[in-house]
Amino acid sequence: MDFTLSEERKMLQETVGKFFNSNYKNLDKRSENVNLPEGYSKEFWKESSDLGVLSALVSPKFGGLGGSGEDISIIFELVGKSLCVEPFLSSAVLSSTVLSSISNPRIDLITDIIEGNLLMSFAHCEMNNRYEDHYIETNAYLKNDEWNINGTKSFVMNGDDASKIIVSARINGDINDRDGIGLFLVDNDQTLKRPYNTIDGYRSTELTFENLKGELLAKDENALKCIIKANSAGALALSAEALGIMQICFDLTLDYLKTRKQFGKSIGAFQSIQHRMVDMMLEIEQVKSAVMLASSTFETDDLTRDKNISAAKNLVGRVGKLIAEETIQLHGGIAMTWEYSAAHYAKRLIMIDHLMGDSDYHRDRFKLLSNF
Amino acid sequence: MVIKMNFEYSEKDENFRKEVKDWLNETLPKSLSEKVKKYQRLTKEDYEIFMNNLTAKGWLAWHWPKEYGGTGWNAIEKHIFEEEIIKASAPRIVPFGVNMLGPVLIEFGTEEQKNYYLPRILSNEDWWAQGYSEPGAGSDLASLKTTAIDKGDHYLVNGQKTWTTLGHHADKIFCLVKTDLNAKPQLGISFLLIDMDTPGVEVKPIITLDGEHEVNEVWFTNVKVPKKNIVGKENEGWTYAKYLLTFERTGIAGVPYSKSALNHLKMISKRSLKNGKPLIDDPIFSSEIAELEIDLLAMEIFNLRTVSAAAEGKAPGMESSLLKIKGTLVRQKTTELLRKALGPQALPYLPEQFDEGWNEMPVGPSYAGPIAKQYFNMRKISIYGGSNEIQKNIVAKASFGL
Repeated sequence: MDFTLSEERKMLQETVGKFFNSNYKNLDKRSENVNLPEGYSKEFWKESSDLGVLSALVSPKFGGLGGSGEDISIIFELVGKSLCVEPFLSSAVLSSTVLSSISNPRIDLITDIIEGNLLMSFAHCEMNNRYEDHYIETNAYLKNDEWNINGTKSFVMNGDDASKIIVSARINGDINDRDGIGLFLVDNDQTLKRPYNTIDGYRSTELTFENLKGELLAKDENALKCIIKANSAGALALSAEALGIMQICFDLTLDYLKTRKQFGKSIGAFQSIQHRMVDMMLEIEQVKSAVMLASSTFETDDLTRDKNISAAKNLVGRVGKLIAEETIQLHGGIAMTWEYSAAHYAKRLIMIDHLMGDSDYHRDRFKLLSNF
Repeated sequence: MVIKMNFEYSEKDENFRKEVKDWLNETLPKSLSEKVKKYQRLTKEDYEIFMNNLTAKGWLAWHWPKEYGGTGWNAIEKHIFEEEIIKASAPRIVPFGVNMLGPVLIEFGTEEQKNYYLPRILSNEDWWAQGYSEPGAGSDLASLKTTAIDKGDHYLVNGQKTWTTLGHHADKIFCLVKTDLNAKPQLGISFLLIDMDTPGVEVKPIITLDGEHEVNEVWFTNVKVPKKNIVGKENEGWTYAKYLLTFERTGIAGVPYSKSALNHLKMISKRSLKNGKPLIDDPIFSSEIAELEIDLLAMEIFNLRTVSAAAEGKAPGMESSLLKIKGTLVRQKTTELLRKALGPQALPYLPEQFDEGWNEMPVGPSYAGPIAKQYFNMRKISIYGGSNEIQKNIVAKASFGL
């Protein structure tokens, strides 16, 4: 048994951690990035690529230098600690996972992604498909040997700035069928876009397609497998991101308990508050354990991978709510302000439960995969 | 290029696990494990059968170093051993002599004490009890009031101990007593070994809310205790008591207990009916089970992380307290869901069914009988061994710098 990181990984963690820290020194810097036209810093994104952060998210089989569950977790824990708004998830995890999982992997595109020359996003969510892998209304039909896609995709992360999009669309069957799904590669310049910011500081977009021409990447069983794998990889990344955020929330709160004085003493001197901090600490250890387990089985069979990722994401949803709410409550009024960082960490932590499956979704998936 | 984190046991550990398993298979009487499975009352002899087997194998003193007749196992081996004996439904190893007093004597006892007591613990000749808690000293243990007055060649002991687990079987008891009445609470305490046969020692049963007799009151009225029965120095007993309490406890989270309870819960939830369908098909109930299972899964990894660090020589600090808190909450939750799974079948209370040889028809399914009783009994685990509130105080004090 060995629960420690290898030397290479420790180095990765240290280098990337320093780099993120120096670029995301404080909340003002983040706000600056959020308010850029693309909703993130292209400069920071390019530097991330140069430093190898993006290639650390992709397996050597597909042109990267990492791509294991541990690599994803290490990077995203740091993304969480700095609250980075760059498109690590949409482009480097979701899109590259699909591109590497299709029958003929598109190493050309993956290489462009990790070199920072191409931004892609994965358009799977729709207004009505909640977190489902297979419930798809957008459709595609073949005419004169060309695929035509019609429909609207929702909550497409960085869908305004991405130049290529992977779209899931129904090629036959009913909306709720697990079969009959296709994955298409489309150019984003022909789509109708409605970009907006999310409440936690990220950029998202509604994309509408009218007879948009697309290249078929995968269909039927292979397409569904790719969607499930991308969503699982995303859920793992978000779980690790949440773990990083939780640690920061805990540290900020503990600092505040030492600083803030009421009734003539620091509020941390009160036992009722100390006990709540222990509850937080304990639950963060639980999340850390679940993320470690999910990371270590990311490259095993699909069933084990998805079961452990669902366990982690369910726990993250439950504990995330505890940590976010306690962080705000124990800070008191100050955490209600826009200018204080804890509020932004808490917001992201809560909204992570609204991405790639919430705690209910993953609890149900865990049940299904555990043969309840 | 990349070395992965490894969550698997080594081949050596797996071989060890097989050795323990095989040994339990060969030596643990089926009748005994059946009694444990059915939550039947265990006699003194039942415990002794298992512990004598362990003695014969050389595995009783699993926390002791080799030179004292212990196993010298590392934390992972201890963890595996404990997991397997729980999985096999063996009786618990009564911990007071071998796991509690033994390590204290090895660390602080005189040569004479070690030579006399340790072999008797190893051979199960002495059954020890723990005399810590008093009616007025629970979480605030240092406020204890039992006194031992120096009378030249002996101490004269007066006072009362309580919650003495299995004290009705005990030959001897190790006690915390006040030897300096004027010192600050922690400073005037000594660690004293007392023979239960001494005139003035009286054991009175406490019947717990589940109707069972497991714990006792022990009264001391003018009990003469030879001065050589003191462990370490007079008035420094608090240090030894703390040593005992912080003694490495790999199994503090009770993961294997919760795992087997969870399996039992799933089995019962498949057999219990709701609207004519298995209860486990009820989405709300099965969701409670699923989140419990996820908590347990995470805790198992947390526990293994701690065990693995302990095997590398890193003494667990606040991890023990955190695992104690989570472990008791998870285990209590399993007993709560078991109780709920039964519905009204949890009501019948037939205390005689927990006696060996009872062969009447139970009311309802045979597994229903002990469930509610177990639920009430398990309320104790978040209270004893330092209540969960005390554990939180310990963590806050040790790690927050507040």
